[in-house]
Amino acid sequence: MSLDGFDELIHAPTRLAIVSLLAASEWADFKFIRDSVELSDSALSKQLSALTDAGYVEISKSFVGKRPRTSARLTRTGRLAFERHVNALQQIVARAGVTILPD
Amino acid sequence: MSERMLPEDAARALAEVDRRQRQVIALAAIPDWYWWAVGALMVVLAVGVDVRTGASIAIVVPVFVVGMLATTGTVVLGAFRRALPRNDLLVPQGIFAILGFVGLTVGVTLAVAFTLRAAGAPYPATSGCALGAIVMGTGGRWLSRYLTRVMLRNGPGGGR
Repeated sequence: MSLDGFDELIHAPTRLAIVSLLAASEWADFKFIRDSVELSDSALSKQLSALTDAGYVEISKSFVGKRPRTSARLTRTGRLAFERHVNALQQIVARAGVTILPD
Repeated sequence: MSERMLPEDAARALAEVDRRQRQVIALAAIPDWYWWAVGALMVVLAVGVDVRTGASIAIVVPVFVVGMLATTGTVVLGAFRRALPRNDLLVPQGIFAILGFVGLTVGVTLAVAFTLRAAGAPYPATSGCALGAIVMGTGGRWLSRYLTRVMLRNGPGGGR
């Protein structure tokens, strides 16, 4: 079964969680992503670097008051790749007639 | 890899997408206490209008303004400090629901207040706002849940 849009980079479990969070957001704070996916700072940085290198994610740094804030957002390319990946997953499920139940 | 992917694995991945999406959308949910707090502030303001003395206005207007800024600021800053849910998740049903809710609350408040005033009842504005506050408190809870459902439906994967 070969499907257009299936994205190996996005499909890795940790990256799928990160990209899914970003897909529902305009932007997300680094700490929020880290706590949500339960990664260390360095592990999250590594995953975000892979996504940034692929052109899927943009990282921005700013200050809120005197505190530095790092946030991430999906690029247009990243959003498109994610939508295509979700479509591919849905096709796999639809062809098999599997029912998806929320956790 | 998709050639080897089992449907069960794809389903699990989609469930993960759905779970993460809910996590972000939950940040935008307006807490139930907010609606009751705004309703209570409306009643405070209306008391000042009904009493109609300089002192009552001087007290209730600052209480209303500071109260609104504090409650709204708390909700907005609390929600959007961590992530900002996509703007397009609400459009257009969510926007119509918000406008309808505001219209209903204002309509009930004004209709009751003016009817009571025409009938010569005491404290018409306070009574109207008290009823409006109940509409806001109970309806706000419903609106928050409805907006969450709309955002989930419009999110990636369509809230399977």
